[in-house]
Amino acid sequence: MTVTAPTRPQLEPTAAPHAVTGRRATRARKLMAGAFLAPTVIGITLFTLVPIVASILLAFFRWDIISSPKFVGVDNFVEMGTDPTVRVAFLNTIGFVIVAVTLQLAVALGLAVFVQSKMPSWLRTFFRSALFFPLILSAASVSLVMAYLFNQDFGLVNAALALIGLPAVPWLTSPGGAMVVVILVYVWQNFGFSFLLFVGGLASIPKDVYEASSIDGVTGWRQFRNITLPLVSPTLLVASVMAIISALQIFDQPYVLTRGGPGDSTRTAVMVIFESAFQQLQFGRASAIGIVLTLLIMGVTALQFRLSRRFVFYQ
Amino acid sequence: MADISRRALLGLLGAGALGVAASGKRLTARDIPGRNTDALNIAILGTAQDAEARQNLVRAFNARHPDIPVRVQAIQGADWSNFFAKILTLVAAGTPPDVCVVATEGAQLFADRLAHPLDEFVRRDKAEIQDYFDDVHPSLLEAFMYQGSLYQLPMDFNAANVYYNTAALNRAGLERPKTDWTQHDFVDYARAMRKGATGDFRSFFWTNRLWGGVVPWLYINDTSFLAESKATGGDWFWQTFYAKDPSSASRSGGYQWLEPNAEDPKVAETFEYLRALVAEGLASSPAQGGGNELVARFAQGKIGMTPAGGFWVQGLNEGGMAEDDFDVSFFPRWRSQRHQFGAAGYTIMRTSERKDEAWEWIKFCASKEAMALAMPDPNTTPTRRSMVNEAFYSGKGPKHWQVFYDTLDRFPTTGPIPAPPQQAAVETALIKNVLGAITGPAAGVPRALGTMQRDLDIALRRKS
Repeated sequence: MTVTAPTRPQLEPTAAPHAVTGRRATRARKLMAGAFLAPTVIGITLFTLVPIVASILLAFFRWDIISSPKFVGVDNFVEMGTDPTVRVAFLNTIGFVIVAVTLQLAVALGLAVFVQSKMPSWLRTFFRSALFFPLILSAASVSLVMAYLFNQDFGLVNAALALIGLPAVPWLTSPGGAMVVVILVYVWQNFGFSFLLFVGGLASIPKDVYEASSIDGVTGWRQFRNITLPLVSPTLLVASVMAIISALQIFDQPYVLTRGGPGDSTRTAVMVIFESAFQQLQFGRASAIGIVLTLLIMGVTALQFRLSRRFVFYQ
Repeated sequence: MADISRRALLGLLGAGALGVAASGKRLTARDIPGRNTDALNIAILGTAQDAEARQNLVRAFNARHPDIPVRVQAIQGADWSNFFAKILTLVAAGTPPDVCVVATEGAQLFADRLAHPLDEFVRRDKAEIQDYFDDVHPSLLEAFMYQGSLYQLPMDFNAANVYYNTAALNRAGLERPKTDWTQHDFVDYARAMRKGATGDFRSFFWTNRLWGGVVPWLYINDTSFLAESKATGGDWFWQTFYAKDPSSASRSGGYQWLEPNAEDPKVAETFEYLRALVAEGLASSPAQGGGNELVARFAQGKIGMTPAGGFWVQGLNEGGMAEDDFDVSFFPRWRSQRHQFGAAGYTIMRTSERKDEAWEWIKFCASKEAMALAMPDPNTTPTRRSMVNEAFYSGKGPKHWQVFYDTLDRFPTTGPIPAPPQQAAVETALIKNVLGAITGPAAGVPRALGTMQRDLDIALRRKS
């Protein structure tokens, strides 16, 4: 009896009758891959990498677009350090990030927990859509509308306060009020993204963990603190990294609402970059500030990942 | 469905792309405004509709100069500094316009770096252009002199006047303000207007900006936030074109703003006056913003008085206000009664290779025929005195439209808003410190002005 090895079932044709084979085929595939990747690679090179390199170089020059760039060494960085406006703008940005991101994550997580609680599915869908909706609006147009709402003399917010006998608040014309409005508008518009992340994160927590804890008599706040929060911590890390990176680049809301005022009270780092480059034609200075802001973002993100080792729990 | 090989698919896609590329009218690099074209490229601040609206002007120009094709390029900008930044980007990109509309805000920036002086052209065509100068107030020309040379022929201007709502005035039992009313009278008017009003009414509404913000108040108090001086030179111009004007001897080679002046006691006095108005609820706290919102509120009768120029007439008319629903007066008198204005005109870019054609465009636009075509409605004030007439304001008001040009004629010291070549940084320094001075307690005014002085000093010293 002759034993023959079973032939492997042929799942796919090994080659089309006219297909090229071997090294030629590999080269053709590489060429094809290259052709499809080329537009993206060219786009990233031209519109991301080249500007990054140009910006780093420009930071060491004084350039107003019209005249030839003049090499000034680290002067732009030194001037930046001694400019009170830049200093205040960075402090404002950091203060804004601390308050706005904390508020944004707290609101998003709170609402995500609420939406994940027992409620009809249509109501859950409604909340998910409604709470995400502000994110799809243009920040500039939202800020324009908010500027009307918070107008001291004619705004609806003060009109509502007047109805209950409260005095008009100088929302956008006092340093404290202006920053409060900027934070509120920013958080209202941006918490939707963190909210969606948290909804996903909460959904991934196994139900049996809650059931077991309920049997042990752990409910309410203790359940949230000891079960929900640790198990949602990986999502919290992602949400906080993204929220901080985004908040450090805050521009639209203060630019439209207050133009950085009153004084410098709502001026942010990106606003100073914009004003330096496109209003005062100091592209070197703008690049230097941009580099410092980038380093700040990178530093904060690295710190977050470092700290996450202590506070993030994976199942 | 028949199978198709990858090669065949790519072939088809390529053929399709070639077909699309070859068929019909398409955009190419030549369609980028100003690139590879023989047309005289004129940049204006506005939308494509604004450019379209100028086509009758272009047609009239081409009827006289059929050999000079013209392309009007509209560049949108939130404000003048935004527009200037975009022009500079065009310069950097190697596609600058030949001619550019420039307002007072950018006049010295352009004169300093980008514009070509008109001296040779106005001298050469004196006979043709004299008619324009005879009709235009010399203050407007002096605003476009820079270090002894002339850079623009202003086509329109707007001085800051006080618009008032006649219903609010009548409700308060007030007469029209006298020409020489004082800053104290102004407070009395504001109080009387508020007394007779209901709801969210503000006697005086103003915005925090360079034109029409704090500057008119500083000017009437004989001061400014920058120290104003005059450049030497310019005699050639005044002796040639304004020889018969009695003020020509005191005219100069242009304004200069070289030093900050925010700590002048008169500046502090002016800010304290405005702070007190706001604190008493007579004036709004000046927020950032443009004029559209203000027009709507004024038309709704929510505002008693506000600073505005001739550009407001058309807007109020479109907002539903009849001729006698509003009127206009001069700013009050304080230590002086000097007023402020801003103007705009065309400038020739240094980089232009069509300077002669550009001058023909400017010369044409300065003619009465062209200015009538360019300004059919009272949404600005023509610089030609003869055009600011009954017919121009007919049916739209205000009753005392003469105020617009009289701001120049009756007050010869009336001058342009402070706009040195570093205007963008200076404007930022001014605007950002106004609220701090206005909204706090009286004790906070000197501190806010000290910060303004520091910021202005940095702005004026800073090199690009």
